[in-house]
Amino acid sequence: MVHDLMLQRRQVFQGLIALSAVGGLAACGGAEEGSSGQIAGAVAPGVFTGEEMALISAVAQTIIPKTDTAGAVQAGVPETLQSLATDWGDADFQQYWKSGLAALGSALTSETGAAFTQLSPSEREAVLSAFDTKVFSGEVDNGFYRDFKATVVQAYYMSEPGATEELAYEPVPGEWIGCVPLSDFPKTWAT
Amino acid sequence: MGDIAMTDFDVIVVGSGMSGGWVAKEMCEKGFKVGVIERGRKVTVEKDYTDFIDPWDVEHLNRKTDKDREDYPIQSNVYAFQSYTRQFWVKDKEHPYETADGTDFRWLRGYHEGGRSIMWGRQSYRMSEIDFEANARDGHGVDWPVRYADMKPWYDYVERFAGISGSMEGLDILPDGVFQPPHDLTCAELDFKAAVEGSFPGRHVIPGRVANLTEPTQEQMDLGRGRCQARNHCFQGCSFGAYFSSNSATLPAARRTGNMTLISDTAVHKVIVDEATGRATGVETVDIASGERKVMTARVVFLNAGTIPSTMILLNSANGDAPNGLANSSGQLGRNIMDHHSGARGSAVLPGNLDKHTFGRRPNGFYIPRFRNHTEEAEGFVRGFGYQGGAMRERWWSSMGKEGVGADFKASARTPGQWRIGMVAFGEVLPNEANHVRLHANKTDQWGFPVPVLDVRWGDNERNMVRQAIRDTRAMLEAAGGIDIQTDDPDTAEPAPPGIGIHEMGTARMGRDPSSSVLNEWNQAWDVPNLFVTDGSFMASGGCQNPSLTYMAFSARAANHAAELMKDGTL
Repeated sequence: MVHDLMLQRRQVFQGLIALSAVGGLAACGGAEEGSSGQIAGAVAPGVFTGEEMALISAVAQTIIPKTDTAGAVQAGVPETLQSLATDWGDADFQQYWKSGLAALGSALTSETGAAFTQLSPSEREAVLSAFDTKVFSGEVDNGFYRDFKATVVQAYYMSEPGATEELAYEPVPGEWIGCVPLSDFPKTWAT
Repeated sequence: MGDIAMTDFDVIVVGSGMSGGWVAKEMCEKGFKVGVIERGRKVTVEKDYTDFIDPWDVEHLNRKTDKDREDYPIQSNVYAFQSYTRQFWVKDKEHPYETADGTDFRWLRGYHEGGRSIMWGRQSYRMSEIDFEANARDGHGVDWPVRYADMKPWYDYVERFAGISGSMEGLDILPDGVFQPPHDLTCAELDFKAAVEGSFPGRHVIPGRVANLTEPTQEQMDLGRGRCQARNHCFQGCSFGAYFSSNSATLPAARRTGNMTLISDTAVHKVIVDEATGRATGVETVDIASGERKVMTARVVFLNAGTIPSTMILLNSANGDAPNGLANSSGQLGRNIMDHHSGARGSAVLPGNLDKHTFGRRPNGFYIPRFRNHTEEAEGFVRGFGYQGGAMRERWWSSMGKEGVGADFKASARTPGQWRIGMVAFGEVLPNEANHVRLHANKTDQWGFPVPVLDVRWGDNERNMVRQAIRDTRAMLEAAGGIDIQTDDPDTAEPAPPGIGIHEMGTARMGRDPSSSVLNEWNQAWDVPNLFVTDGSFMASGGCQNPSLTYMAFSARAANHAAELMKDGTL
C-alpha cells in the first residue's frame, strides 16, 4: 500500500515539476479552465436536509466562488460539512448547525423577500458581503456565521482543488530553502 | 559470550525507546545476546506510519472526536496528537495514573516498539560543562559524577550515528558537535537574528539542531535511512527513515547482528534479585494480552522503560533487603522528578521581507541558547532557559477569521501573508526531593501493577524564570521591530504544568555518593552491580536543553562500560 502511495506521490511531484516547467505556477489555474462544476444536485445523505445543503452550498460558494480555480462547491465543501455534522458531530453540534443555518437563511433573505438560494450570484455576493461586514465590524453578533465561515475556509483549503490548484502544495518538497524570492514561489503553501 | 550463562539472555533491556534502542545496539554489536522487552506492540512502516496522508485525506478536518477525548483525555491535548497519529499515544483509560491533591502532571507517552523516539521533537543539544557543574556550584541536587570531558566522546559517537543537523557556533553554553548541514534560517529569522545579536551581545539566534538527516552517511544509508525530504510529517513516522528513531536506526543496527530478540506486548513488573548475591537474575514479565507471568533471566539488566516506568519497576521490586524499593538504599528513588517548564510563549508580526518566501517544510526552527545566569545576570532564580521558535509567512488559516467574501477574499489567501514569529522558552527545573513519584497504596492497573502517584510542584525558581523569559521575549520582539506582540503578562504568568515538556527525568539520579544517589557514574545501581538505568531517570540535573541526545550518550557509554565488565568477568 505504501508503495502505491509512493508511486502516486511521485506522479504528483512530477506533475508539479512539469507545470512549473511550462510557465510557472500560474499555469495551475489555467489548467483548470473548462472543468467547472454546477452546484451539486446530488446530496450526500446525512443530517442536513436538501434545503439546508442548498443554503450551505449557496453561502459557501459566495464566500469562495469559482474563479480560475474551483469554488467551494466544486471542491466538495458542502459534502465535507455534511460528513462533519453527520459522522463527527454529536447531537448538540448538529442542533447548533441546523438552528444556525435556519437563522442564517432568515438573515440573508433579501429586502424583496427572496430566499438567498433564489438570488443570482451577484445578488448573493451583495447580500452576503453586507452581512459579513456587519458581523466582522461587530454590528451584528453572529458566532454561528463566524464558525460557518471558518469551517468553509478550512474545508476548502484542505480539499484537493483548494490545496493543489488554488494554493501550492508539495507533498514531497525534497529540500528546505529558508529564503527564496516570492516571485519564484508566489502562491501560499497549502501546508 | 554467554558460554557460562544458564540465562535466557546475556542482557535484558527493558524498553525499546530512545535509550533502550541504544543499549540494544551497543550490546548486540559487542556480541552479546540481547532480549529487548517491549510492553507495546511491534511497529511497522506499512501499518503504523501515516506520513503520506494528504490534507484532503484527513478525517473530519482533523477535529478530535468524542472518543478521542474519552479514550485519550490527557494525550489528546499534545500538539503531536492528530487524527492520524493517535496510534502512537497511550489510551489514558488503559494506563491510569494519579496526581497528589493540589498538583497536576500531564504524563505524555506511547507504548509501542520505539516508544517516544517516533513522536519526539528531534531537537538535539549537548549539555555543557556549565550544566554538569551546576549542582555543585549552587547546591541544588547532588554533584554530577561526570564532567563534559567525560561525555564529549560519547556525544560525538551518538551524533555521528544518529545524524544531527546543526551549525558550528563556538558557544561554551551549547557545545558544537558532529553535524550534518544545518537548516537555513528564513529571511525574517535572519533579520531577527541580526536585531537580537545587535541589541543583546551574548544572545545568539542559531538554526535548531535536529536529528534529521540532511546529508546521510554511508553508515546511515546502509541501515535504509535516507535524506530528509522537508515534509515535516515526522510525528506520523517517516517512511524515509530520515529522522532518528529506534525504529529507523538503533533497532535495525541491533537486529542485523542476529543477536537481538525483541519481545513485544510484554510488560516488566519486577527486577528479580538473588538475595544471597545481591545481584539481579532477571525480570518478571506479564503478557499484555493473556496476563501470563514469566521469568526471563540474564547476566545484566538494563532499565530503559522511561523515567516513570523504570522507577516504578524498581519501587515494585522491593524485597526483604530492600523494603523501600530495589536500589533504593539512598531513599532517593522516585524523587527529584524534573521536566522543562514551557510557560513563556510569544509571537509577533515581523514587518518587511514581503518579496521573500520559503520552499519546503522545515522540521525544525531557530534556537536561542541560554543567556541568563551566563552572559547576563538574573534576579530571583538560578539556572536558565533557551528558546525554540520560527518565523514563517502566514497562510490560509488566517483567512478563517477574516472579513470579506467573494473573489477578492479568495485572492487574499492565495498570496502569503505577513511574516509571523512564534517562540517558546524551555526552562530548567531544579531537582527537589519533595517532587516524586510513588506506588499507589492499593490501586492497580488491569495487569496488577500499582498505579503511579505523581506529586510534583513547581517552585519560585521556576515561576520567576518563566516571568523573566516572557520579559526577555518581549524585549527581543521589540528590538526586531515586531508589531502585534503577544505574550502572557510577565507579572502574573505561571509555568505550564509539569509533564507538558515531555522531558520527565531525574527519579534515579546518578551521583558520587551511594548515600545520596541511586546510580554511579556509569548508570550502574550502587546497590545492584549488574543493574543499569539509562533512560531519563539518571539525570542529576536537567539543563534547559532537550535531553534525548544526552540519554543517548549516557546509554551508549554505560552499555560499553557494562560490556567491559562482562568481558573481564566482573559481571
